[in-house]
Amino acid sequence: MTDESQQAWLQVRGLSKQFGGARALSAADLDIYRGEVHGLVGANGAGKSTLIRCLAGVHQPDSGEVLIDGEPVEFGSPRAAESAGLAFVHQELNLVPHFTAIENILLGRDLPNTLGITRWRASRRIALDAVDRIGVDFPLDTKVSELSVGERWLVMITRALAQNAAMITMDEPTASLSDSESEALFRVIRDLAKSGVAILYVSHRLDEVLDLSDRITVFRDGRVTDRAVRGELDKQGLIRAIVGREVEQASRAPKGGIDRSVPIFEAKHVRDLPMVKDVSFRLYAGEVLGLGGLVGAGRSEVARLAFGASRLDDGGFEIKGRAFKAKNVAEAVRQGVALIPEERRSEGLLLEKSVDFNMNLAALRRLLTVPWLPFTSSRKARSRTLEIIRALQIKTQGPGQHVGRLSGGNQQKVVIGRWLIPGIEVIFFDEPSRGVDVGARHEIHEAIRGLAVQGVGTIVISSDVEELAMLCDRVVVLHEGLVSGELTGDDVTEKNIIELSYAPAQELQGEPA
Amino acid sequence: MTDTTAIDRPQHTDPRPGVAARRKRTPGQLTLLILSRYGTLIALALMIVIFTAKAGTIFFSLDNFINILSQASLMAIISAGLTMTLVVGEFDLSIGYAASFCGVLVVGFMALQNLPEAIAVALMIVIGAGIGTVNGVLVTKVRINAVIATIGIGTILVGLCFAYSPFPIVTNIPPAFSDLSLGRPILGIPNSILIMLVVLAILWVILNKTNLGRKMQAVGGNIEAARLSGIRVDRIKIFAFATAGVCAAITGILLSALLGSGTSAAADGYLLEAFAAVFLGSATLRDGEFHIVGTLVGVLIISVGFNGLSIFAAPSWAQQVFSGGILILAVGLSTLARRYANAS
Repeated sequence: MTDESQQAWLQVRGLSKQFGGARALSAADLDIYRGEVHGLVGANGAGKSTLIRCLAGVHQPDSGEVLIDGEPVEFGSPRAAESAGLAFVHQELNLVPHFTAIENILLGRDLPNTLGITRWRASRRIALDAVDRIGVDFPLDTKVSELSVGERWLVMITRALAQNAAMITMDEPTASLSDSESEALFRVIRDLAKSGVAILYVSHRLDEVLDLSDRITVFRDGRVTDRAVRGELDKQGLIRAIVGREVEQASRAPKGGIDRSVPIFEAKHVRDLPMVKDVSFRLYAGEVLGLGGLVGAGRSEVARLAFGASRLDDGGFEIKGRAFKAKNVAEAVRQGVALIPEERRSEGLLLEKSVDFNMNLAALRRLLTVPWLPFTSSRKARSRTLEIIRALQIKTQGPGQHVGRLSGGNQQKVVIGRWLIPGIEVIFFDEPSRGVDVGARHEIHEAIRGLAVQGVGTIVISSDVEELAMLCDRVVVLHEGLVSGELTGDDVTEKNIIELSYAPAQELQGEPA
Repeated sequence: MTDTTAIDRPQHTDPRPGVAARRKRTPGQLTLLILSRYGTLIALALMIVIFTAKAGTIFFSLDNFINILSQASLMAIISAGLTMTLVVGEFDLSIGYAASFCGVLVVGFMALQNLPEAIAVALMIVIGAGIGTVNGVLVTKVRINAVIATIGIGTILVGLCFAYSPFPIVTNIPPAFSDLSLGRPILGIPNSILIMLVVLAILWVILNKTNLGRKMQAVGGNIEAARLSGIRVDRIKIFAFATAGVCAAITGILLSALLGSGTSAAADGYLLEAFAAVFLGSATLRDGEFHIVGTLVGVLIISVGFNGLSIFAAPSWAQQVFSGGILILAVGLSTLARRYANAS
């Protein structure tokens, strides 16, 4: 199918992109030929998404170039990428739910018209031609809201074809598809490739990638680290390529004496289909528990379930042996469970308010002047704030400073400080050090560990395996809604976490189950 | 506040807003900043100076000031209630209609149902709270957009008011009722001014000195952060709507006392004036935040303006132009103030 003697249709040369201090993509090269299925794999944050966004015209690369048929092209906007023949289909399908499939296929395209009045028959022909090319039947005159997820993917792909796309990028296409829907999609992909369309297939599901791809490119730490042609790699090899070198053991202080007899928090066979199938874990006093896994493995969903943001299908949670069930966050907090959200600036803080205001938001009941009057004591609020500023070593001018003026790490500490309240037994940290520099990350980790030592249950959800390996005493790794393994002590390494993220322990030979 | 931000940031490459060191402002920016914070106060002072210069003691006299304040008091009460809903990040477009409704009913209860004055008034305040609660529940629990929910409720109130009494109620009103607005128990200050001061003081204390007030500000400032801090966001919002309802009821009652009648649609006009006042207030002293003192300043600007217009015998169209213009000016200023706060 692939003709490598010829020049690649799309050539990416030395593409780099930096966000703030972090290098998301450095000097990435990629060749894509007409008619090939090209697999793109890598752990979370390895640079795949950044590359795709650069191709889609969403991000502008800092350096490097993209060539199509040998001609340099620039994608200043999504529109430019589209007219160059690049189409992108990802999980958030851009469809208008109350339009029919046909209307959605024709969306965003200039339709044949007479004096501005659309000629529907001719338009319909365009859509039907595209439908013919994908060779699968799906209801065309049904509203998209009534179609299944699999059928919606087909609508998106057909739309790409109707716009004469030469390359279709698919990001995690099977994440929300059933097995039979996935099979149907694979057939479509193979047929399209045969007809000369290039498919850039991005997925965490390595079996699919190995099965479909003519060639595979592996990303790690923002770089292209491996390239393979069909047959060169098996699943084990691909996992090794994704994990890369064994990173030196993190400087985690060895911890002894964690009493693992009575858990302070326990998830018992939690289920909420389709994302969470069966998740159980226990959290003990004094330890930092990590919840690892790929995006979409069900980590955040478990946290949302604990907070009553979504309804449980089955199973339940316990705190110190008593059943824990919260209809909303307020109830969860009252029962002693807090969440520190991933989006610090938009969900954690009131940026234009003071450190004092932000820090005391959850502790107001303790700050009354006298218990039977509704007034807040600003003296008590201030002294609590000062105490926490000292305890967590927050760098600020004082309680009155606007939180928006602090650095990311110090902002995060303010959010952590908010929960230093007696009665809070368990704190979920969702991506606690995202967007902060290395020094601040270290300090945040210190703060989290400090909480654990004081007996507060700490559960860290992170896509950053390095963070989990550095910080956690124990890591429970999820894979497609199931616990794929649990790592304790010296087994908590980046390599082990990544391996378990891709496959359950029993599938991996020679690994601790 | 200006020169120590560097301590927080060992690295200088961080481009995110909020951590960047404060830029030096050009004189032009500084002027705009001063205008966006103190512009309303300057405008108020200017109006007083100009009116005094032009009209002398007709304007600048204790009698006229008391006159202005007593006219301002009704607007101030309803505006303060509206401030509460805006603090939690919502809207209430029903307050004018609610005030008219309560104004008619309070007179009707006394004149037609022969209820004692105190009971009629107490009942109306409860009904006002009820109207606000319904608004709040529709917005938070049923999740109807506040604009739609409160306009809907307001229109229903207009209808109910008409059903209750299609004609103005003017007979059988106990004379003591008028004293609610017009009585001068202390130092010759009209009752309505005293009631306004009490209402504003209570709301100021709630907003600034209580846990409830902190929670309200948190809900308005960042609803997601508030929710994740364990604040029961819905209840806080419903409370704010109920407060707005109570304030509307008080304004309606005082207006009927002032007019000596229960007339439908009498208080409808307060809606836009209240919005103008609250938005003017948000551009006063603070960066686009809604607050009670600011609202009072906004109310004074509008009242002094109207007073000046009537002193100079401006034609009635000029009053309309002033009303509409000040509303647009107010919201514009408030937006500007907020943008400056975010940019700096």
